[in-house]
Amino acid sequence: MAASSSIVSVAATASSVPILPSSCDFSNLREIKKQLLLIAGLTRERGLLHSSKWSAELAFSLPALPLADLQPPPPITEEDAQDMDAYTLAKAYFDVKEYDRAAHFLHGCNSKKAYFLYMYSRYLSGEKKKDDETVDSLGPLEKGQVKNEALRELRVELSKKHQARELDGFGLYLYGVVLRKLDLVKEAIDVFVEATHVLPLHWGAWLELCNLITDKEMLKFLSLPDTWMKEFFLAHIYTELQLIEEALQKYQNLIDVGFSKSSYIVSQIAVAYHNIRDIDKALSIFNELRKQDPYRIENMDTFSNLLYVRSMKSELSYLAHNLCEIDKYRVETCCVIGNYYSLRSQHEKAALYFQRALKLNPRYLGAWTLMGHEYMEMKNTSAAIQAYRHAIEVNKRDYRAWYGLGQTYEILKMPFYCLYYYRRAHQLRPNDSRMLVALGECYEKLNQLVEAKKCYWRAYAVGDVEKMALVKLAKLHEQLTESEQAAQCYIKYIQDIYSCGEIVEHLEESTAFRYLAQYYFKCKLWDEASACAQKCCAFNDVQDPD
Amino acid sequence: MASVHESLYFNPMMTNGVVHANVFGIKDWVTPYKIAVLVLLNEMGRTGEGAVSLMERRRLNQLLLPLLQGPDITLSKLYKLIEESCPQLANSVQIRIKLMAEGELKDMEQFFDDLSDSFSGTEPEVHKTSVVGLFLRHMILAYSKLSFSQVFKLYTALQQYFQNGEKKTMEDADMELASREEGERKMEKEELDVSIREEEVSCSGPLSQKQAEFFLSQQASLLKNDETKALTPASLQKELNNLLKFNPDFAEAHYLSYLNNLRVQDVFSSTHSLLHYFDRLILTGAESKSNGEEGYGRSLRYAALNLAALHCRFGHYQQAELALQEAIRIAQESNDHVCLQHCLSWLYVLGQKRSDSYVLLEHSVKKAVHFGLPYLASLGIQSLVQQRAFAGKMANKLMDALKDSDLLHWKHSLSELIDISIAQKTAIWRLYGRSTMALQQAQMLLSMNSLESVNAGVQQNNTESFAVALCHLAELHAEQGCFAAASEVLKHLKERFPPNSQHAQLWMLCDQKIQFDRAMNDGKYHLADSLVTGITALNSIEGVYRKAIVLQAQNQMSEAHKLLQKLLIHCQRTRNTEMVISVLLSVAELYWRSSSPTIALPVLLQALALSKEYRLQHLASETVLNLAFAQLILGIPEQALSLLHMAIEPILADGAVLDKGRAMFLVAKCQVASAASCEPLKKAEALEAAIENLNEAKNYFAKVDCKEQIRDVVYFQARLYHTLGKTQERNRCAMLFRQLHQDLPFHGVPLINLL
Repeated sequence: MAASSSIVSVAATASSVPILPSSCDFSNLREIKKQLLLIAGLTRERGLLHSSKWSAELAFSLPALPLADLQPPPPITEEDAQDMDAYTLAKAYFDVKEYDRAAHFLHGCNSKKAYFLYMYSRYLSGEKKKDDETVDSLGPLEKGQVKNEALRELRVELSKKHQARELDGFGLYLYGVVLRKLDLVKEAIDVFVEATHVLPLHWGAWLELCNLITDKEMLKFLSLPDTWMKEFFLAHIYTELQLIEEALQKYQNLIDVGFSKSSYIVSQIAVAYHNIRDIDKALSIFNELRKQDPYRIENMDTFSNLLYVRSMKSELSYLAHNLCEIDKYRVETCCVIGNYYSLRSQHEKAALYFQRALKLNPRYLGAWTLMGHEYMEMKNTSAAIQAYRHAIEVNKRDYRAWYGLGQTYEILKMPFYCLYYYRRAHQLRPNDSRMLVALGECYEKLNQLVEAKKCYWRAYAVGDVEKMALVKLAKLHEQLTESEQAAQCYIKYIQDIYSCGEIVEHLEESTAFRYLAQYYFKCKLWDEASACAQKCCAFNDVQDPD
Repeated sequence: MASVHESLYFNPMMTNGVVHANVFGIKDWVTPYKIAVLVLLNEMGRTGEGAVSLMERRRLNQLLLPLLQGPDITLSKLYKLIEESCPQLANSVQIRIKLMAEGELKDMEQFFDDLSDSFSGTEPEVHKTSVVGLFLRHMILAYSKLSFSQVFKLYTALQQYFQNGEKKTMEDADMELASREEGERKMEKEELDVSIREEEVSCSGPLSQKQAEFFLSQQASLLKNDETKALTPASLQKELNNLLKFNPDFAEAHYLSYLNNLRVQDVFSSTHSLLHYFDRLILTGAESKSNGEEGYGRSLRYAALNLAALHCRFGHYQQAELALQEAIRIAQESNDHVCLQHCLSWLYVLGQKRSDSYVLLEHSVKKAVHFGLPYLASLGIQSLVQQRAFAGKMANKLMDALKDSDLLHWKHSLSELIDISIAQKTAIWRLYGRSTMALQQAQMLLSMNSLESVNAGVQQNNTESFAVALCHLAELHAEQGCFAAASEVLKHLKERFPPNSQHAQLWMLCDQKIQFDRAMNDGKYHLADSLVTGITALNSIEGVYRKAIVLQAQNQMSEAHKLLQKLLIHCQRTRNTEMVISVLLSVAELYWRSSSPTIALPVLLQALALSKEYRLQHLASETVLNLAFAQLILGIPEQALSLLHMAIEPILADGAVLDKGRAMFLVAKCQVASAASCEPLKKAEALEAAIENLNEAKNYFAKVDCKEQIRDVVYFQARLYHTLGKTQERNRCAMLFRQLHQDLPFHGVPLINLL
């Protein structure tokens, strides 16, 4: 226990188990592994299954410890011994989801562990009842009003304990969750930060913090504990905030220090590549991940998106069948199947599966957007608008939904109206050329050519994905009889295509050559003109390059 | 004349200018509060005629409607309300609720079973289709639809509700008796609960669909008619957010939030709310089968139209035009003539500056009449009248048109348009320089009982037309020298239209103008100069004009001239005839001030021609005054005098007090000048007449505190008395002159050169 000397004083008073807030460096992987194993056990005892799973997964990726290094279970205190029977009984009830019963038997227990389980059961019981009530509420307007009745009581009790500084890391975590559910975001953030200080190993607290932080500025002003867990947190939140470069950097560092086998990190990297639309890399990483962990369902929806974009029908079909065999009632599975049907142009079925995904988890954002896309394909614009609006309600920062809304209105031939939506999307993804091209097209339709030019130029400047911005820009210049600039754009376009080295047929290539030939002809640069004209002959659709 | 057509925006809760509650379908359910109201109704039915006095019964009946429509309130509040109208009944209601809440579930079940009895019998207590009857039936239906667990939940909610009410009354009682210790103990308890209480206040509980609709329509109509009575922007937004939290599908709330954001001039949030509303509306349009595809397309068109309105409201005219084009295109594609009419009206509003826009308007009026849209039609007529007035059409024709559209208003009870029409008449009369008529119209609007008050109990007194009429009233009073009355009117305006409200700019401008005029009269040019910035902020053209006047008064002739020339070109381009004439007059004044009256003459003639063509009597007579003055300087006082006789009548009848004084002063000057060559006896007579006129002029100037002018008059009088040999009077006038002269700065302009 080399690192135990660095225990922060708060931790010493507040945590019952000697958990070691570890230092920032990754030099001692063994120590880290020990801590991970320890926290996995502790979270499991408290019924925090997801955190336990995460820690265990990460621990698994590190080399095994020799027997001598294995840690003995933490010593049992007097208090623990007193509550042992009640705890054992209650944990059994808890595991079979009889939360009220568990809470009943834990009432009055003094040990930290039992107290946490007591509060946690009450919280979960409230949540479960809330879910049941939603089906059975008194009226339509009440449907948003059904809330976890236990939250308020829990908050009062926990805040008393918090003021008396009697909460350990897990207690703080639960307090934070309660606050968040009561929409007291500011207080919740403070409590979660405190929780990470007291118990930095608990991934759940970090993850909750991730969900509450909305921008980079907020992140800057947090005072986070200086531990190796912070690196994981930062990488995760950078991915969430679309700061992909930074995120990839962090993940690379983590891999370099020895977490290369962690499926969590690998999947996060794949998601990051997906977000910056580096499809090939993301695909290869996902394929690797599937080999390592064939029964993994998490993140497979992202994988299916990639396969969809590349129109890899057979792979997608395989993935869908495979996941369906593993667990067909998972949100991700439904999404993959939805994508599969969408790729096969069976849009009704696709929408059905996305709806199913939403029934399984109404807050699953991606499905709303995808459903919107399906309705768009079916030309059911009003349903599409509904779906997109829902997506935005769940998460205002969902640029795909804003973009989708814009597209819907564009299809309805309302170019001015959709400007607003494209602008919103562009705000969220300032460096995505697709929004800029869409904006440019709208401006072009509205005959605002100056703005349109700006948009296309910017789209080219940020790295055009579809390689269309330059052609459109050139055509605009052509329209405005700015032949010099038009020619420049066409030249750049051709250079771009050839440097790319893709053999994909570009429809506009012939137009470019034709224009250039004419341009050089006018400028009396005969050699260049004839070279371009000869290039033109290779294309069928340009017959007379006059 | 301010535009009175800002309120042209389309409001889905409004047809032909009347706000309706938007009824999508009646959705209501039983809550503990509703049970309490049901108990009250039941009790009212049970107690016979004799038990409750007629007064009490009347009060109770009045209480019922707000109880049925309003949001849920706590039990103690309900008791208090009932107690105020009938204490005896309150007691029995209290007892019955207590029995029900402290009893068993079957008590509640029994209660609902018994409820339907009130409909039975040969002479039922409640008529099935009455308001109360409908409410009762809704409740019975809603109750019978509840599932087992829901019934139980309702009962526990009732118990909770009752206990909370009990606690509240207990606490109240405690407060009165509270011994010191108890008070302290409670303080501790309260401190703990404080934060939780705050939450409770912020989310006052969900409203049923009916209650929400009532709330929305009430607030919307208040926003339209009497903004000060509506909730403040912040608290309204809070309520709306609360509403949306409980029911995100309640699209109308987004629209109200859009209107609310407009109040605080928040472009960003209002766009957001508006688009959100229409995104949502599109859903409901698609869902309701009666409308089908038609309803869906319709909302798209109006979405674009509203966006245009929004941009127009914020002065983004180019954006507005684009949005409008879009609306027009979609409407054309789907043959929606009604929508196209709306678009046409907006097209006019956007293209107002263009000369040919009246063609659009004529089309719009014709079509609107054809499609039976009285609101749009008469709005069009009013705009047309406004435009024609500026274009100098005959007044009788305009008044005729307004009268015809008034007929339309009264027929369709479009009270908003009636107000606008009267405000417009006020403005037109003022434009033509008939202050008495303008005054009369303004008074008429203010003392008229609005139709709305009959309809909804909301006095429509916060609209733009009222602001316009009141502003005119203030200016008219100021013109007549009744500054106390004018400031009284302005004070009232300030109360009615708080500075951040939509129409506040109107009175702000009016206030500054009056102050400016007073400062100029007083000779406090520095004060006037400081007001110019304020005026410029509200109306740039007016500001430039006033700046030029100040410069002129301060003898900075070349700067003033430059400014005036620029202004002249601008106004001629924008066809602001009123301003063109004013500017021409100022230019002329500049010329004769700089001792070149001959150049002033053509300018004045141009002004005269313009004002005659556009029938602007006020400006015409002022031009005549200037012209006469120029002639006087040129040495043809007889001509000037005959010219003045032409103008003096309208000036004395309708002109501002200052103009009256100037006219009389000028008459006297001309009389003296023309008498110079007469024989002594006649000359003396003429001089006597001139002195009389000067006295009159002095009185007029005294009314508006024009000390400088009074000084000049007194000086002139002294000279005349001197000529007549009346030493005593001469000395009196000379002394007065001396007193005034000491008070005032001397600007170095020779006396004779001032009008």
